[in-house]
Order: sequence, then structure tokens, then C-alpha cells
Amino acid sequence: MKRILAIALAACLVAVSCSKPAEKPAEKAKEPPLVAMTTDANGLGDGSFNDGVWAGLQKAEADGLAKAKVLESHAMTDYVPNLSGLAEDGAKLVFGVGFLMVEQIQEAAKAHPETFYAGIDHTYFMDSIPANLIGVSYKEQEAGYLAGIVAGQMTKEFAKNSPKLNDKNVIGAVLGMDIPPVERYLAGYIAGAKSVNPGVDVRYIVAGSFGDRAKGKEATIALIDQGADIVLQIAGLTGMGVIDAARERGIFAIGADVDQNAAAPEFVLTSALKGTTSSAYVTIKELAAGTLKGGVNRVFGLAEGSIDLAPFHQHDAIVPQSVKDAVAKAKAGIVDGSVKVPSALADLGIKK
Amino acid sequence: MMETLAALFTPQLVEATVRLAAPVILAAMAAVVCERSGVTNIAMEGIMLVGAFFAALVAWYTGSPWLGLVGGAAAGALYSLFFAWAAISLHFNHVVAGAIMNILAFGLTRYLMMVAYGRQGTSNAVARTLHDYKTAIPVLSDIPFIGKAFFDQTPIVYLALLSVVAWAWIFKRTRLGLSIEASGEYPMALETMGRSVVKTRYTAVVLGGVMCGLAGAFLSIENSNSFTEGMTDGRGFIALAANIAGGWRPVGVFLASLFFGFVDALQLRAQGLGVIDLPSELFLVFPYVATIAAVAGLVKRSRPPAAVGKDFSVEGGGD
Amino acid sequence: MRPDRARAIIMTSAAAMAAIGSTLYLASYFAGGLLALAALAIFGFLRRSELGAEGFAAASRSMLKAAAVPAIGIASALAIGAAVMLATGYDPVASYAALFYGGLVRNWHISVLNATPLIFTGLAISFGFKGGLFNIGAEGQYFVGVMAATWLGLKLNLPAPLGVPLVFVVGMLAGAAANLIPAALKVKTGAHEVVTTMMMAYAIRTLSPMFIRANGGDPASSAHPYATAQIGERLWLPLFKDVLPASNYRLHVGVLVAVAAAFAVRFVLDRTDLGFKIRAVGHNPIAARTQGISTARITFATLLISGALASMAGVTQVLGLDHRMFQNLNAGYGWNGISIALLARNDPIAIVFAALLWGVLDAGGQYMARTASTPNAIIEIVKSVILFLLLAEVVYSSSGAAIKRFLAGRKAARAASEGGRS
Repeated sequence: MKRILAIALAACLVAVSCSKPAEKPAEKAKEPPLVAMTTDANGLGDGSFNDGVWAGLQKAEADGLAKAKVLESHAMTDYVPNLSGLAEDGAKLVFGVGFLMVEQIQEAAKAHPETFYAGIDHTYFMDSIPANLIGVSYKEQEAGYLAGIVAGQMTKEFAKNSPKLNDKNVIGAVLGMDIPPVERYLAGYIAGAKSVNPGVDVRYIVAGSFGDRAKGKEATIALIDQGADIVLQIAGLTGMGVIDAARERGIFAIGADVDQNAAAPEFVLTSALKGTTSSAYVTIKELAAGTLKGGVNRVFGLAEGSIDLAPFHQHDAIVPQSVKDAVAKAKAGIVDGSVKVPSALADLGIKK
Repeated sequence: MMETLAALFTPQLVEATVRLAAPVILAAMAAVVCERSGVTNIAMEGIMLVGAFFAALVAWYTGSPWLGLVGGAAAGALYSLFFAWAAISLHFNHVVAGAIMNILAFGLTRYLMMVAYGRQGTSNAVARTLHDYKTAIPVLSDIPFIGKAFFDQTPIVYLALLSVVAWAWIFKRTRLGLSIEASGEYPMALETMGRSVVKTRYTAVVLGGVMCGLAGAFLSIENSNSFTEGMTDGRGFIALAANIAGGWRPVGVFLASLFFGFVDALQLRAQGLGVIDLPSELFLVFPYVATIAAVAGLVKRSRPPAAVGKDFSVEGGGD
Repeated sequence: MRPDRARAIIMTSAAAMAAIGSTLYLASYFAGGLLALAALAIFGFLRRSELGAEGFAAASRSMLKAAAVPAIGIASALAIGAAVMLATGYDPVASYAALFYGGLVRNWHISVLNATPLIFTGLAISFGFKGGLFNIGAEGQYFVGVMAATWLGLKLNLPAPLGVPLVFVVGMLAGAAANLIPAALKVKTGAHEVVTTMMMAYAIRTLSPMFIRANGGDPASSAHPYATAQIGERLWLPLFKDVLPASNYRLHVGVLVAVAAAFAVRFVLDRTDLGFKIRAVGHNPIAARTQGISTARITFATLLISGALASMAGVTQVLGLDHRMFQNLNAGYGWNGISIALLARNDPIAIVFAALLWGVLDAGGQYMARTASTPNAIIEIVKSVILFLLLAEVVYSSSGAAIKRFLAGRKAARAASEGGRS
């Protein structure tokens, strides 16, 4: 039944798109297009890009731009049937989330030229990219840089503003695993902190897993014992443990990927937003407006309005205007190119 | 060098060791009790996960972490009862039954997340956690270096430490301990003495379930404030290793669990200090390598209970 | 022609028909199933002429009875799954229609791809069980196979007929080597293989990102060292599609290697001296030693062979499907192999079917989640119930055995058990 509906829906959509919209003003409410995503094997609830993209789809649905659908992959062999199947269900745009499906999404895109595909965390060869495929990647280092500016200034200059801060001039980060997007965050974080506070000691610990909350907490406590009073989490669900430690020990955590303030409002200073939600939303909006173009790699950064720092929420009062100004200045500098943010530890002269 | 060592070997390192070890101690004690009674239990991972889920659910629903603790322990006991029924009454191969319990626990908690909270990943936060009831024991907590780690702790950590003492005592001094011991070594003899092997094994498995449930509750409502899918992350299997490395004895297993906690705490803290310039993977692999080395050196003379893993029925004897 | 000669020829051609038919079926040429059925009918006919009508009827009854156990188990598990769906507001009819259409027909090739590594890891773990050992760390040996195949695939410049077997051989040696330390410790100090192989698996997994970094991020994916570079195309396993054009373009012949490995394992265990010794040690090491078998040597060999079998899963996955190593930590083929070995009760041929069943449930579960919007966590529950019901020995076989044992007298049983203990 659903299949018949889906085919009928697809047929309607074809009919609608064939007819000239100018001649048919919106007398009938047009059915919004089906927009779908398939997660990687981590599934929803990862507190990271799967959740982020899904939030973008849901937002688009709430705004009447799309009908959203999500399909969780179980194993790598599922990617092709899921990506293709969603197109067969009549989806006009399919998001494939996670690097592991970089090849599978190209196969699916070639097999379904009438459907747009967007690969999250993907960059494709320009000479072989199908015309209906969009590579989406992010400048995590820019988000890390902004978080670093806040952490670097707050830990020293404005340590007196909150009892959660100390005078040791140490900040920290907990990493899930040592992989490129995580390293980009970290490189930006260190560079940002040093740009406002050259003497700051940035320490980091790799927990070795994206799913071990207790280990994330213990790593954070280790950093706290070594003097850290602000710790950035770049560790997926392990990062929930960073927030646990902050709550228990009374320091500040900085969230990542999505605004994590709600997890512990009193202890999450801000979050480094990777912009998966906004990039998904922007893409769907372009689809609805008919301006979406495939065959391109798009990098979402500050300039594209995707990367940002989350609001300070209840901590707004303790973050002085000068910190906010420094963040704003850095944002402007990154956008106009006067501030170059390193994307690897090697760029900072740190050996791995 | 001395400076680094001084920065590494602090009382906080001991505290971290105890925290990391606590759930492993409880789960490994469960393994000891089950295996000494003759039931091979590899299901600790799954039982812990179920315990963690229900502890968080009850604590969230009622607002009381103590009820959550009871809920986690009860869920662990009930889930273990199911395991006992399969392994003892239905005469399943124990490893088979344990493997099923583990698989089921992952599917079940993921599914129940959807049913209870309507989403996946992390559950709703509980209002109060058991960490709020951290208590220092006077005098003992003032012992230099290790006092705070062992005697200024949270409820389930105390329960974990207590379980070691309790089980060492039960095995040495009580009728229950003797029964469990006999049930694992000479089940027929226990039976001829007029005591039931089946009842003894059921008791051991369910008590083990209570401890695994507490270990799960530690993870969700004492160390954290909500349940996260898969949050046991292999601790049940580490407990299995600790049970064997500790030679199936409460004190040995306690020391083995502490050792696991210690090497893990040590590598995390060494990473933070950043004095050793190595890829992070080489730090992370340290606990596993240390475990292999420890098992190779330590357990030469220990052996599992004679009848462990063997099906028992009165007609068929201990085989 | 002499009748027994004619018989041999018919048998051989029926076996060939069965092999071709099943191969075609695996390649999604479902008509091949008819060929396999025809071969089965020929076997049945020959058997009937051998046993006579009555003997044949009895034999087929007992076969049907044997088949009834898994059939009833699976059916009951699905019924329980349906009850769960009804209780939580999903439509079981639509869900199961999607599950089986997706797993058995529409995405059958995915089921086969899912099953392939599970056959190898299932064989590896059951091989250990046969020798009384629990190689719980097959996951680690899987990763070793992946790394060996990737490394050779990047370095080796040989034509496929030489290169592919070489990669398999080296991969198997590497997998065996991964169990060298656990095997040596088991024999020398008695360190339990559950601890050592599991710790080795965790250690190998933890170190694997270093291997990926050392072997090149793929330029096609923004130098992303989540994965190594792609291995040379000449070492890729052939696809069914090369001969059977309607087959899926990703379906490689690895499954045939896996099935061949299953037959090889059965041969080794049932027909060779080594196999006899392994089973003897697994059954009762003390009795084996009194027969003059070196238990240490057999234990050592069992763990190494088990490691080699598990690493074949990794080699096949790289040469056939992935063509590179991914930082893919939740594949879990090693862990899932435990379920497969248990489900098949260590019978190598049953492992093939158990792995296919798991593959179908996984692939079909995805299709169900997509088209019927039923969460595929249900499939995990169904899987555990299947394991539970198929292995609940008391419900089926051993209830019969218990009655027999009762009739044979409790005295004998008790005497035997006491004799064994003293």
C-alpha cells in the first residue's frame, strides 16, 4: 500500500514539476516533496551528525518544506539498498550520513538520476561526480576556533566571573577517537585559545570510543585534576560523560555538533555547532525553491552560515562583551579570509 | 621524570581507579558466584545493560534514585532469572544462553528506549543521582593516599566494596557458601546431602543478577544522570576476564578488577599530561596488553570449578 | 554398464546439479533452486532404491522431524515478534511481508553478502568449540585478515590467479599468528583463551587506526584516513555478474569460498586424524591424553586454525566487497559468529544456513524498516528468540533422550558419571 502511495506521490510530483508553476498559482496546497535520510550504522541518538541532519529534516517538515523520513542502517551492506530504496519510495532528496557510504552513495546517485543525493561528510572527485549528487563537508576547525576563543579568554582573564573557573590557565578537550573531523575541531580549538591567550595550556585525552560515557567522564576528571576548568567534548556519546563530569565537579563543558545546553544548562557554557542541521535545512530549502544544484562539493563553514557558536543561554551575563567581540571579530576575519584557521595538529607544529 | 611520576601518582589516580573498577568489581563478583555454583555466565554485559536502563527509567519516573537502585537491581535479578531458567531448567548450554541474553539486551533496551522515551541514544535525565549521596566515613577517609578513594564514596561503590567482603565471608563461613562451592565442584555430593543443586544454582545466578543490575545502576544513575545506549561498552566482558584473572576468588577478582581500573586510569592521565609523545592508540591499548601479561603471569595455578558449565540433572548426574 | 557404475554417474551428476543450482540461487537466479530441488529428488530416488519403500519412508520421516525443529523454532520466534509488534502498535502482516520479500527476494544479494563473513567467523568459533576452546576474539582475527589483505592489496602486483590465493594464504597465516600468543599462553601457563583472545581483539581494534593512517587516506574522499587507499583492482574477487549478468553488481564469489571452507572444515573434523584428535581433546582432554594424544599440541593447532578461519572473513570482505580497510568498528562479524556457531550447533554445513538466516533477517529487517516503517530493533528481538527456541534442547530432542535414559535405568548413568569423576 505504501509503495503504491509512494509511486502515486512520485507520479504527482512529476506531473506537478512538468506543468508550469506560473500558470497554476497556489490554489491547491502542494504536497511537499519527500526528503529522506539514511543514517550510518551508529543510528539515531548519536548526539552528532545523524541527529543533526535529522533535526534539519524535521525542521523542514515543520516549515512545510518537506515530508521527512529516516531509515537507520544496520551494517555497511545496507547502504546501497537503503539509498536506492528511498529514491524508489519517491524521495526527491536523499541524505546519506557518514563517510562510510562515500562510494555507495555515488552508485545510488548514478542509478537514480531523477533524485538528488547529498553525502554528509563527503567530498567527491569533480571529474566523476554524478550531476545529482552533492558532497557536503564542514569546517569543524572554525567551530573549534570560536570555542577556543571563549575558553581561552574565560579561563584566564575572566576567571573571576564564575566560581567554576580557576586561575591555573588550563583548558582541555576529550576526543572520541583520533580521526580527521575530530582533529579539525581540536586544531581549531587550540589555535583559537592561543590566539587570545598565548600562554594557555591546552590538554586533551583520547577516550578510544564514541560510546563509552563513563570513560569520557573519567578522562574529563583527569583533565580537571590537572587544572582544567573548561573542557570541550569532541566524542559523540562519550561526550555525555564530559558533561557528567562538569556537572559533578562544577566546571564548564563545551558541547559539540549540536547545542547541548539542555543536557546540563548550568554547566554547558556553549556549544561548537558543526552545522549539520542548518546545512540539511538549507539544502532542502533550495530543493523546495527549485534552485538546488547537483554535481558539486559544498563545504559548509562560517561563510556559508552553517558553522557557529551556540548561545551562552543562562551564562550570557558572565561572558563579558569583550569575549563576544573577540568571537565576532574572529567570525568576520574567517569570513573575509584574514584569519586562517589550521585544520590539522601538524599545522600547529604538534606531532602526532 | 620524577616530576612526571609525581604528577601521575596522586591520590586522584587511586580515586579514578576505584571509580573505573566499581562496575567491573560488581559484575566480576557476579561471575565468581555463578561460576563457583557451576553456571558459566557470560551474560553480565547484557544484564548490566538491562539494569542500567531500568535504574534510569525508575529513577526518572519516580524521581528517587534509591528506587532507581532497587529497580536496577530487581531488573538485573529478573533478567538473570530468565537466564537461570534457560541454563538450569531448560538445560541450555550456558554459553549459548549467555550469548542470547547479551544479544537480547541490546535489542530490548534499544526498543524500550523508543517505547519509553520516544527516541534513541540518551534517555531523560533523572532529577537526583546517587552521586548526590556521596558520604565520607570518618577516620577511614583520612588515611593518606587511599582514604578518599575507598572511604569517601558513592553508595554503589560502597556496595561493590562490601560485596567483596560479603562474598569472601559467605564462601568461608556460611552454609550458602558451602552449597555454592559444592554445587560447582561435586553437584552429586550436594544432592546426596539432601540439598538441591538446582535451587543453589538459581540462587547464585539471581544474586549475580542483583550485582550486575547494581553495576548497571552505577553507570546510569550514579556515575551519570541518564541511560545511554550501549553504555556498558564491554565492561561485562572485562569482568569475565577479571573473574578468570582473579582465580574465581572474591579477593583475587577484586584485585584483578582494581588492576583493570588502575591501568585505564593511568593511561588516561598520562595522555593528559602529554609528556609521552606517542599516538593515542598506544596509550589506549595499554590496559589490554597489561591484562594479557597479568593473566600470563598470575593465574598459573588457579583452575575453574570442576563442574562449571556442565549441565546437571538428578538422573544424569553432573554431566 | 554395471549398475553401481551407472549409479555413481547419476550421483555425480546430481551433485553437480545441486552445486550449480545452489550457486545460481545464491547469485539471485532463483530458478537455480529448481535445479537444486531436482538434484534432491534424484538423491531421494536413489536412496529409495537403496532402502526400499519402507526404509525410505522411515528415513524421510526422521529427516522431516529433524527439519521440524528449526522450522517450528523460527515460526514461533516470528509469532512472538508479531505479538511484540501488535503490543506496540505495528502491523505484523505488512512487516513480515516486507521482511521476507526484502530478505529473500528483493535484496537477497544483500542477505548473501551479510552471510559471507558470518560463515567464516561461525566456522572459526565452532572449530574452537570442537576442540573445547572458546575463541571469543574472532573479531580481532577478522581485523587482522582485513589488514593483511589491504596491505598486500596495496603492495602486491601479481595477476589475480596468483595474487588472490597468495592474499588468502598470507591472511590466514596472519590470523593464525594473531592467536599465537593466546595459544602459547594457554599451553604454557594455562591462561584462559577467553581472556587472552578477547584482549587481543580489543588491542587489535584499538591499534587499527594506526594501520589506516599508515596506509594512506583515500584521495577520492578528501584524504580522509577513516579508510585506507583502495587496493589494486586486479586482486578484487570475481563477481557473479561476470558470468550471470542479471546478478547484482556487488555480489562477489566470496560466498562460494565460504561454502567450500565449510565443506573443508567438515572434512578435516570428520575424516582426518587431526580432526579426530581435536574432537577427542574437546570431548575429554584427560581421556585423550591417556590415548597418547598431545593435548598441548592439539590445543595450539586448534586455536591457530580457528584464527586462520576468522581472518578469511576479513580477507574476503576486503577482496570482494570493501576493497579497502574501513574504520568500521561496529561490523561485529566476529561477535556475531558466536551466535552462528551456537545456532548451527557446530555443524559446518548448518553454519552456512544459519549465516544465511541471519543475513536474511538483517537485510529484510532493513527493507521492513524502510517500507513498513517497523523499527528493526524488533529483528534483534526475533533473532534472540530464534536462538532461544532453537537451542532449548529440553523442549525437543533431549526430552526424548531423557525418557530413553530413564528407561535404560538410572543406575548405569550414575555409575558412569561417578566413574568419570574419580
